Amino acid sequence: MSRSLPETRDYSGLAIAVNALVAIAVTAVVVWWASGFAYNAETLFRVAPTVEAGGIGADWRAGNTIPALDFLIAFIHAADVLMGLGILVMLFVHWGAFRRLASRMRQPGETARYDSDADAVADGGRTAADATAAADGSVDTDGSPGDRGGDGR
Amino acid sequence: MTNLDHGKFTRMTTTFHTLLALDVFILFFSGYGLMFNDELWWLVTLMGGSTGVTAVHRIAGLALVALIVFWVLMMLTTSTGRGNFREILMGPDDVAAAIQDFKFVLGMADERHPNARQFAGYKSDDVPLLSYIGKGVIYIFSIELTLLTISGLLIWSKTGVMQYFATKTAAMAFVVFHGLLGVIMLMGVMFHIFEHGFHPAFYPVEVKAFIPRKLIPEEHADTDHDSTGISQLTLAPSWGWATNVMGVLTVIGIVSVLVGSIFDEGYPVPRELVVGGGPTDLLLTVGINVGILVLFIGMALQMYGNLLRVRWQKQLEQEARATATTDGGQVNQPNDD
Repeated sequence: MSRSLPETRDYSGLAIAVNALVAIAVTAVVVWWASGFAYNAETLFRVAPTVEAGGIGADWRAGNTIPALDFLIAFIHAADVLMGLGILVMLFVHWGAFRRLASRMRQPGETARYDSDADAVADGGRTAADATAAADGSVDTDGSPGDRGGDGR
Repeated sequence: MTNLDHGKFTRMTTTFHTLLALDVFILFFSGYGLMFNDELWWLVTLMGGSTGVTAVHRIAGLALVALIVFWVLMMLTTSTGRGNFREILMGPDDVAAAIQDFKFVLGMADERHPNARQFAGYKSDDVPLLSYIGKGVIYIFSIELTLLTISGLLIWSKTGVMQYFATKTAAMAFVVFHGLLGVIMLMGVMFHIFEHGFHPAFYPVEVKAFIPRKLIPEEHADTDHDSTGISQLTLAPSWGWATNVMGVLTVIGIVSVLVGSIFDEGYPVPRELVVGGGPTDLLLTVGINVGILVLFIGMALQMYGNLLRVRWQKQLEQEARATATTDGGQVNQPNDD
């Protein structure tokens, strides 16, 4: 039985090619700008230890007490902590959800299948529905697909 | 029903996802090798010391700029791209999905909300292109990558930061800002790896992001089902312990880089021109290294996802050939290998 693959609209090859070229060109210009419009390798990839008209060796504290920067970094610290806690909560929620979903699946003992063809299983699959799983309605068996090849693992 | 579930990504998007993932992993390894140099000294050494690690970081950053510009252009200049904008807007359904996820874990709901479902199964028609988490990922990545690119280029440019703040200490503040900014994404990516690697129906990796949607069949034997049909799938024997181990590693990784980021204050610049100076105690060192291990596992899983795509394409080709030769007779399922 052959598969019927869906009709989908993909991105056109022309759009991909043109946009990729434009992206590379923009990147080149941006990096060229970042390296001070240098055109010889001698000046690329090097952070100058000094800037014209001073800066280095200037009063250390002058650059160390800019309120805007101080606030910016305090703000990012706070964002890190809050987002980190949020991400941790989401992690635990998903961990729990995965465990609950796993309890509804057939428990190990049959070969896993990674195949979508719905051929009837010859020997009738053993459904070991976990008793602890919350009732999600009895599942209609559509002649559950059995891939005799397995996934080779 | 299938481990493939339902296709979402175009071929371009799957390729982009892989390139972005690899690039971001390299940026994380090099960037946090620098920021957490106390704890990840070996990573710095591995990349050729402080000179090598900055070079690697900049080359990867250069690739990131190209990828971002390309993506923005694809979203703006193509009708397929523009059609996706409606899909990423957060709505009341997403809030409901988040709340229902909490209820589901606590046993107060029987199913995950359609906007939270990763495994759609028979209910694929009810599931949007992006789950509420997926939308969150896109928001965080968009904001983070924009700010990281701008601050990164300002740091890279000799005069970029200096024209605003004429001292090196202030320039250092930008480096610190850049590093602290990436921490959100670093933690987010660790969660992303867990979320898409350890869903029981998809373990060890969800292939939606690796197999283009045009290669994923949509048919089901019949469509009248009152559940997703997850109970017809078999759980992998190793899922239980692997998920617990990975869950623990991910929690340790997230907590450690969070604690590490708090200690790596960096501005006002204390004594030396080094971002770092946190407590170099053993626990934090182990923890941050666990975080890096989680990223390595993620990198391996996304390579495995691509391997599955290659296998699947081969299987489709074999089936097409078999169908052509047998006049539409029964096709023997080929082994994946």
